[in-house]
Amino acid sequence: MNDSAPTVFIVDDDPSVLKALARLLRSAGLNATTFASPQEFLDNHDQNVPGCLVLDVAMPHINGLELQRALAAQGSELPVIFLTGHGDIPMSVRAIKQGAVDFFTKPVNDNDLIAAIHDAIEKDRIARQAQAKLSELQQRLAMLTPREREVLSHVVSGKLNRQIAAELGTVEKTIKVHRANLKKKLNVQSLAELVKLAERLGIISSLPD
Amino acid sequence: MRAVSIEQMATLLRWAHLPLFVLWVAIVCFVRFYFDAGRLWLAWTVCGLRALAMILSFTTGQNLFFREITGLKHVAIFGGETISIPQGMLNPWYIMGPLSMLALVAFVVDASVTLWRRGTDTGRRAVIFSTSITFFLLAAVGHGVLVNAGLINSPYIVSLSFMPIIIATSYELSCDVLRSAQLAHRLHTSEAELRISEQRMSLAISAAELGLWEWDIIHDEIWSTDNGRALYGIAKTERLIFDRFLDSIYAEDREPVRLAVDKSLAGGGNYEGEYRVMLPDGHIHWLAARGHVEFNHRGLPLRMYGVSIDITRRKQAELDVQKQRNELAHLSRVTMLGQLSCSLAHELNQPLAAILCNAQAALRFLEQDAAALDEVRDILEDIVDDDKRAGEVIQRLRLLLRKDEVQRQPLDMNEVVQEVLKLMRSDLANRNLVVNVGLASELPAVIGDRVLLQQVLLNLIVNGCDAVAGTEIIEHRRLHIHTLWNGDAVQVSVGDQGRGIALDDMGRIFEPFFTTKSHGMGLGLTICRTIINAHNGELWAANNADCGATFYFTIPAYPGENT
Repeated sequence: MNDSAPTVFIVDDDPSVLKALARLLRSAGLNATTFASPQEFLDNHDQNVPGCLVLDVAMPHINGLELQRALAAQGSELPVIFLTGHGDIPMSVRAIKQGAVDFFTKPVNDNDLIAAIHDAIEKDRIARQAQAKLSELQQRLAMLTPREREVLSHVVSGKLNRQIAAELGTVEKTIKVHRANLKKKLNVQSLAELVKLAERLGIISSLPD
Repeated sequence: MRAVSIEQMATLLRWAHLPLFVLWVAIVCFVRFYFDAGRLWLAWTVCGLRALAMILSFTTGQNLFFREITGLKHVAIFGGETISIPQGMLNPWYIMGPLSMLALVAFVVDASVTLWRRGTDTGRRAVIFSTSITFFLLAAVGHGVLVNAGLINSPYIVSLSFMPIIIATSYELSCDVLRSAQLAHRLHTSEAELRISEQRMSLAISAAELGLWEWDIIHDEIWSTDNGRALYGIAKTERLIFDRFLDSIYAEDREPVRLAVDKSLAGGGNYEGEYRVMLPDGHIHWLAARGHVEFNHRGLPLRMYGVSIDITRRKQAELDVQKQRNELAHLSRVTMLGQLSCSLAHELNQPLAAILCNAQAALRFLEQDAAALDEVRDILEDIVDDDKRAGEVIQRLRLLLRKDEVQRQPLDMNEVVQEVLKLMRSDLANRNLVVNVGLASELPAVIGDRVLLQQVLLNLIVNGCDAVAGTEIIEHRRLHIHTLWNGDAVQVSVGDQGRGIALDDMGRIFEPFFTTKSHGMGLGLTICRTIINAHNGELWAANNADCGATFYFTIPAYPGENT
């Protein structure tokens, strides 16, 4: 979990556009950091800072689409808003396919851009929150003993304690203890909650039919 | 002649030196003026010695031969005639006679050697003449010496030894008379021929519509054929002087013509010019003139003569071709800019985007705080800069799209390269291409049309981009543009790292309608070559050692300027 204020990263090889965009975002009360080239961004970007990326498409050396791919390869989920001088359809299709949240042609209307940026920041916030929750759950999951994990997978697949005991070659009472322990460790009250959690942690899909 | 007394003999011999002096001078003058030969100092020596001998003859002894004549010896010769031969003591100055004779012989022989070397007909005549003179001198003077010394008994027989000179001279004279008769005949014939040739010439002149003229520079008077006057729209009766001629020339061309004439008068000798004349009816004609200046021996121009001809039709055809060429180049330029329109729009769009962002930011700042003037001032300054930038893009575009006449001016090729790169900046970025630019420092200026040279570069760069379009190797997505000074001309090269040019195609890439592209007309390189040739330069291509091809062109440096 990171608490720093959301920042809008702007990458454009045109200094005057870069400066003007940063100024516009600043006038809308947003934090903006500028980068004159994709390489500069890749070299200095801190993935832990929340926010979004406003990216020019046509740039020398590495273009915007390539930067978007490079970020994805690094596992970054920073939302990307594309700006382009001449928005041709194939390019915007590619950008959206690659996960861009929005695509604007220059000159851009300030309200549209700022709204899109707010959306993107919100999206990033939610994603980061979900990511944080998930990692918390994973930490809790990691606290389970191997036997408890085994029991968990059987429980969420809908089996009764008796059936589980039979499969694991133990008595029903032992299973009940395991079951209480893992519920406590995972901080859930009901079976329904446990199933939902298992689903989020990807345990259910890994079960055989 | 016969002297009866010693005194008579002495006086006779004394006065004999006067005709001898005259004879010597006559021979010297003849050689100098008739043959135009003989050394001047030797001529003066001969005359001087002979004059001295004459003076000595009157001032020493009884004459130059004898200090004193002691007696006369009477000798009988054939026919019963008797002659008197003086006898006595010789004058010690006697030697002056033979000395002047030897000097004369030396002068004559030297002159005839000179003439002989000239190897003309005169040489032969000179030798005959000098031989006869030498013979006469040796015979006459030698004989006189012997008589005076009393060694032989004989009268002074100058006339006999003078005979060869008379024979030689009369032979030459009769030859000359004969020759002059022949010359007169030939002159008559050639006069007739000249008349015929003049008639033919004037026929040719009028058929070719040539105007002949001759300018007497000292009196500033121009004579011209009627045809010549008609070419310049000058009436037959009008007095023609140089300023009147200049007035007939179209105002814009007047100064160059005057300068060219001045140059030929200053020593160039030859004059050539093409200029327009405005005829009284208002029509403008193109004339070409060629002339030659004659100078006197001090190098002062005396007269200038030459011809003029109407070249309006040729000029018109040339202008038509030039116009078509311009139109073709313009068409190709427009097509090329059409291909680049996306990136050109981008170039224009960038500053517009910046302006909009800035303006919107300013409005927001003012909404939040009406006193945010510093911020707004910064913004307005940036808006002004971006607006100028957009204006420059439009200016460059307008320059390339215009369809003016070719405008030659001194250009910095580095500047031309940079302008084109600015224009292509976003196209190159879109194509994901990097350009390595190496511009030579201190490149001399070239004379050229900015737009046409930009067009050539634009074309070569677009070709380079197309050549590397297919490649996936990042290092190959690169163009190399260099300028350099090769000693005679400014050379520009545009190299790519594409597939290069197939050997079979190498000779054909500059041919019209030859293309390896799916979308090309095959005219780009043809037009480029036409443009470069029109700049007296060269355009060629070569494959690189590693991969790809490089196009080179040269433009001669602007003469008289080195920066």
